[in-house]
Amino acid sequence: MGGKADVWQGTLALMVMRTLETMGSLHGYGLARRIEQTSGDKLELNYGTLYPALLKLEQEGYIRSRWGTSENNRKAKFYELTKAGRKRVRKAAKEWKQATGILARFLSPAEEG
Amino acid sequence: MHKLRAWWLRVCGMFRPGHADEDFSAELESHVALHTEDGIRAGLSPADARRQALIRLGGVEQTRQTYRERHTLPWLESVLRDVRYALRGFRRNPIFTLTVIATLALGIGATTAVFSVVDRILFRSLPYAHDDRLVSIGTVHSLERQEFMMGGFFFDWRDNQKPFEAMAAQGTMPHPCDLVESNPAQLDCLTFDAGFLPLLGISPVLGRNFLPEEDRPNGPRVVLISYGLWQGHYNLDPGIIGRVMDVDGSPARVVGVLPKDFQFPTLQSADVIFPMALDRAAQATANGGFGNPMRTFARLKPGVSLAQSREEMEPLFDRTRDTLIPAPYRKEIHLSIRSLRDRETLDVQVTAWVLLGSVFAVLLIACANVAGLMIARGEARERELAMRSVLGASRGRLIRQTLTEAALLSLAGGAAGLALAEGLLQVFVDLAPTGIPFLKRAGLDLRIALFTVLLSLLCVGLFGLLPALQTPRVVALASRTAKSRQRRVLRRSLVVGQITISMILLSGAALLLKSFQNMEEQQLGVHTGGVFTAQIALPGFRYNTDQKQMEFYLQAEAALRRLPGIVAVGITDSVPPGGWENGFRWSDLAIYGKPHPAPGTGGSVADRKVTPDYFRALNIPIVRGRNFTEEDRNSTEHLVVISKLMASRLFPGEDPIGKRIQRSQDGAAYTIVGVAQNVKNGGLVEPDQPEIYFLRQSAADNWDGRAPLLIVDSVLSPKAAVPWVRSQIAQLDPTVPTKFETLNEQVSKLADRPRFETALLGFFAFTGLVMAVIGLYGVIAFMAAQRTQEIGVRMALGASRFDILRLILREGVRLIALGTALGIAAALVMSQLLRSLLYQVGPRDPASFIMVTLLLALVALAATLVPARSAMKTDPMQALRCE
Repeated sequence: MGGKADVWQGTLALMVMRTLETMGSLHGYGLARRIEQTSGDKLELNYGTLYPALLKLEQEGYIRSRWGTSENNRKAKFYELTKAGRKRVRKAAKEWKQATGILARFLSPAEEG
Repeated sequence: MHKLRAWWLRVCGMFRPGHADEDFSAELESHVALHTEDGIRAGLSPADARRQALIRLGGVEQTRQTYRERHTLPWLESVLRDVRYALRGFRRNPIFTLTVIATLALGIGATTAVFSVVDRILFRSLPYAHDDRLVSIGTVHSLERQEFMMGGFFFDWRDNQKPFEAMAAQGTMPHPCDLVESNPAQLDCLTFDAGFLPLLGISPVLGRNFLPEEDRPNGPRVVLISYGLWQGHYNLDPGIIGRVMDVDGSPARVVGVLPKDFQFPTLQSADVIFPMALDRAAQATANGGFGNPMRTFARLKPGVSLAQSREEMEPLFDRTRDTLIPAPYRKEIHLSIRSLRDRETLDVQVTAWVLLGSVFAVLLIACANVAGLMIARGEARERELAMRSVLGASRGRLIRQTLTEAALLSLAGGAAGLALAEGLLQVFVDLAPTGIPFLKRAGLDLRIALFTVLLSLLCVGLFGLLPALQTPRVVALASRTAKSRQRRVLRRSLVVGQITISMILLSGAALLLKSFQNMEEQQLGVHTGGVFTAQIALPGFRYNTDQKQMEFYLQAEAALRRLPGIVAVGITDSVPPGGWENGFRWSDLAIYGKPHPAPGTGGSVADRKVTPDYFRALNIPIVRGRNFTEEDRNSTEHLVVISKLMASRLFPGEDPIGKRIQRSQDGAAYTIVGVAQNVKNGGLVEPDQPEIYFLRQSAADNWDGRAPLLIVDSVLSPKAAVPWVRSQIAQLDPTVPTKFETLNEQVSKLADRPRFETALLGFFAFTGLVMAVIGLYGVIAFMAAQRTQEIGVRMALGASRFDILRLILREGVRLIALGTALGIAAALVMSQLLRSLLYQVGPRDPASFIMVTLLLALVALAATLVPARSAMKTDPMQALRCE
């Protein structure tokens, strides 16, 4: 233990959307770095898996992309949430909070009761 | 919703892959560049930083691959690739493709057409709610095989039965009635009770059903009308409800219109329906206490079986029988409860199964043919398949490829078959005899189309899987003449199977053909050329007494006799050879002064009430005694002529002339004046019945009962004579509709059903034979071609051309002999199913079987001879060089 954690199945999409919600528009690399930072560098993304996940979200209509220029003047593709995406991320976040809350009750040290 | 959108985009993605690839390459490029820059900023050398970036990406190519898979639908893409590959293959080999599609289209088309006809007879639910619980209930006896109910039973049964939810009744026969309006028409009128439509689960399309108070004696005169009448006569006028029509001279108010596709459970048709208005008290006395006959139907309670209902009704039946039926007849009457489907289609179910079975046999042969072609093609492509296999295509991949080809072919065949079925169905309907129920409704609807699709898939299973399971052998890569034993066995068994099935079809067709010939060639005992009948529908409300009817017919007779070219004008009530509805029981007849035979013995007797010219018109010779005379017609003596068959049974070894016989029905004694030659009188296939001819005298009481029928023999052709006769009748009463029919037409109509069966089975047998022979030819030709080199060697070593011929022929003969032997064995068993359709020929008729075997063997041998002859002509030098 103590090493870097993998991304659990199905959570990457939520992380991506949540990150885009807070950051607005990001390119793929920036997005990946941002997710790692947010996790306190606990997560190590396989960057290769990020792009199919982005494509899936885009196909589902939760995010959209366009080409733009990065801060250091490089051409990069930027992603941002759509309206449907914003709705989606709120709903998913709520569900996850609920799920982790329940799980947390099980995992917390036994309380007297 | 979002999933669907993604799916759709992925489908779209398949059709423009290039653009997305480029775009993603650029994105990856930019990703790696950004990452590398970060690395350099962190102090790595540019090369290290780039390497780091690539490692973290997990490989550019892998990423590209997963991205591509997400961008499109990989499985669909591979199916499309298979399809494209298959289509390319078909284009390269158009003759193969067309042959396969045509064969399948023929098989699937014929099967679909036949299925669309028999579906309604055998499988499709009848157009009533919960039709599986509807039954026809009543009694039967030797002269009436369809359930009927007497008014005297009905109430007792209806009120005391337990197994049914409900029981309802309709009149036995539609009767002609007149719509007397500005636009008069002759219609068919029928009655049913108020519970009839609810029992069937039918509601009128407009208006309402009869109310209980309308279904009472002396209730208001109301009617339901058919959709056809509403459409044809009232132009779908929604104001029809409440309108008063004049039926047979008295007003009747329309309360409802029956649905368009409504059909009576008796399959009769009627335009106007009156309430039955049964009078319980009157039924207890009418018709000698039996009540009037009717047809009754009932709905089983859920969970009650037919057998149970029979068991439960038996005591009730026994009770009514013992109270109502006189002791001598009790044995004759039986309870009968049948499902509505059996009531409607029982007599054509055998035909339907035989047709369906034989068309499936044709389909099997077609599939076997296609399988043979596919295997041959697989053989030709073995090197290619082996190559693909060596290059890494999995077994499943290759099977999928073959199945894709099979599916494409059979779908194309199915589509072509559906189009063909439309045409074939038209032919069937035109060819089909009357009395095949629902034929007019047969058509290609969604259900039939679905059946066709299923059929096509079945074909894929039959002919696609076999070749698909062949593994390409790597050895095929090395050798030039690939030979697979497994495959050879498979193809040969297919051919043997085809010959077997052909043999079954052919023998069935031969038996039916022989039976049909027997039917056509038999002596009818009557002269049919130039004879025609005129059936005049006298409106009952104007000709409301027997006297008026008699006067009309006597006038018509006199008028027709004055016409030139007319040989004889007789009056009867029916003509042979049909007319099963005539007759009474043998046991009702006795020699005067002697006791009647035991009830239920002796079968039935045909009877007709005729004028003297009946025998002259039909040219039936009087073999003993004399014919009736014109003077007899005005006497009051009870006179009869009996048939030779009857004379020999009643008075064996005696002279019947002058003897008297008595009929229990009226108790009167009839004097026999003559004996007429036997005629075919029970239909074309049923055995002859003894026949008695009553004299139709010119007294009103001789003209009740069955409607009279004019029979005319003329030296002119009926075509020329009919207009003269028509105008004579029109002079007497211009409004009466008259139906003319030649005797030949009537006889031919009786043979319609066997003709239909024979023609169809013959067609299937022929198609099957042709396909099987093509299959055989294909196998032998292919085999001969494969052995070219061997033949060359043999010839080089001194084999004569005759030896080569024998070599190839031996192969064919073995297959033919095996197939024929199996076929005969199977046909001997299968032909039992035809027994009820055969006339004067046994299901194992040796002559038919020998003929069919010879035919099949000859045709098959011819098919073998062609490739064998060309093998014989092989030039050994060339054959050896071709390696």
